Amino acid sequence: MNSLMSRPNPKQKFALQSIALLTLGVVSLLVWNVLKKTYLSDVQVSSVARVSDPVPNLLGDIYFFLSISFLGVLLGITCAFYLEEWLPETNWVRCLIEGQVSILSGVPSLLYGLLVVTVFLPYSGAFQRTQGFPPAGDLNTASLQVSSFQGDTTLFYIAVLTFVLLVVPRVIKATQEALRSVPIPMRESAYALGANRWQVLTKHVVPLSLPRVIAGACRAMSCALAVSALFIGIYISGYTIQPGRMSGRFALFLGAALVLSIFSSFLSQRYPLASTRHT
Amino acid sequence: MNYSIETENLSLWYGDFQALIDVNVKIPDGQITSLIGPSGCGKSTLLRCFNRVNERYGNVTTRGKIEVLGKNIYDSDVSLPELRKAVGMVFQRPNPLPISVYENILFGLRIHSSMGSLTRTECDQIVEEALTSVFLWDDLKDRLKVRATSLQLEQQQKLCIARLLPLKPKIILMDEPCSALDAKGTLAVEELMEALAGTYTFLIVTHNMAQARRVSKECIFMFLGKLIEHRETQALFQTPEHPKTADYVQMRYG
Ligand SMILES: Nc1ncnc2c1ncn2[C@@H]1O[C@H](COP(=O)(O)OP(=O)(O)OP(=O)(O)O)[C@@H](O)[C@H]1O
Ligand SMILES: [Mg+2]
Repeated sequence: MNSLMSRPNPKQKFALQSIALLTLGVVSLLVWNVLKKTYLSDVQVSSVARVSDPVPNLLGDIYFFLSISFLGVLLGITCAFYLEEWLPETNWVRCLIEGQVSILSGVPSLLYGLLVVTVFLPYSGAFQRTQGFPPAGDLNTASLQVSSFQGDTTLFYIAVLTFVLLVVPRVIKATQEALRSVPIPMRESAYALGANRWQVLTKHVVPLSLPRVIAGACRAMSCALAVSALFIGIYISGYTIQPGRMSGRFALFLGAALVLSIFSSFLSQRYPLASTRHT
Repeated sequence: MNYSIETENLSLWYGDFQALIDVNVKIPDGQITSLIGPSGCGKSTLLRCFNRVNERYGNVTTRGKIEVLGKNIYDSDVSLPELRKAVGMVFQRPNPLPISVYENILFGLRIHSSMGSLTRTECDQIVEEALTSVFLWDDLKDRLKVRATSLQLEQQQKLCIARLLPLKPKIILMDEPCSALDAKGTLAVEELMEALAGTYTFLIVTHNMAQARRVSKECIFMFLGKLIEHRETQALFQTPEHPKTADYVQMRYG
């Protein structure tokens, strides 16, 4: 909450980051295992397959997108506010979450996409009928299921979960950075005028940091969209990328990702860090 | 003589580091008292005790008694917002809020009064009064809507003083209020303090001994968390009683 308080000691920090790294290591190992088992042997089958572009299910997409926004962004922002404004810097919950967040938010978003394809999908039973990858004949229905998130509710929730995993850490990080960019003297002057914590937060910290919070949220969503665009594109073209063929949904997601990322860079440029934290 | 602030054996710890050691001090009403001493001796810490902003740091322990305007500020019936209304604070760097000049002045009032209880004419009047008392009205009356952060530093610092006034404080604490200003700005702020002294009690931390001599009637010298000497300013500078004070005011270390 303030820079004058002692930071967690190096030993604690090391321990927490090791835990975070370990978690990540286990996940990657899992991904690799499944990747080896399920896919490498199936590549030939899948690369032959072609699917026609399903009509984009606009309502499903909007529903999906709203769920992500709601869950990911809201959870991320609330989390960041709680961590940054309420918990002292030495609180172990805060240290643990911050350690995880800083690692998770550094993971390229592509890896999360791979995580869906390699771990969540096979284990969710989405492909149980066809075992691993669907053969060519079945692919049409399977990919329809994948690309239409309403097709299968487990699939839908898995996708949401993944994106929340991807979006939340980024939103937390961006929000925390935005909150930290509000100069301490600025806060103190409000406290010294008799404002309480809530007033300082709502009248002061939030307005000052909001553009950057939004920018961060947009950036995170842009990542999520781009990665889903990529996987939709791959699924629809039947595991092969065909030049010149883009599905409507692919274009939609990619376009939205682009717009959001441009908007977010615009915001961060328009509202640079308020100033340094220290006097 | 009446005292605005009295402390009794005030000690303060940051974690296990003791920053104030048994400080006993009485700050007289309606005049300027300055607080000098080498860097890190606890001047800001002492100042920040009087409106209880130190407590925002989680690891602070305070012991002893602090009476502000005759009331022990650690009594359970003391309301922090009311205390901070009565004891205003000005910081080292001018820190107006990044909103208009007009809204800066009203910010404190808006915090303390319910929504919509201030009429437009009342607001205008309050802003004019506050700016007039800090000699800014003529300069700024046509620029009330500009962002306060775009003003000159000197004007910003005066605005920071002005925004305390609508809350009708009794005491104004200042922590090196001129250290970010040039010579002209420093003089302007000093003039302002002198004009307002009498109405308000000032306690000002300064590293500038010439400034302490110019503006303050009484002067307090601190060293390593202890109050060493508290006397009339001229006497303290001309015939310091304590050898440490003499070292400081003559050799100007720290
Ligand atoms: N929040 C804090 N946590 C821990 N130690 C602190 C904190 N604030 C101040 N200190 C320590 O307390 C001592 C007194 O600090 P203080 O800021 O009151 O000194 P000062 O006299 O105002 O110095 P300066 O002239 O440099 O402003 C210093 O040794 C400082 O390191
Ligand atoms: Mg200081």
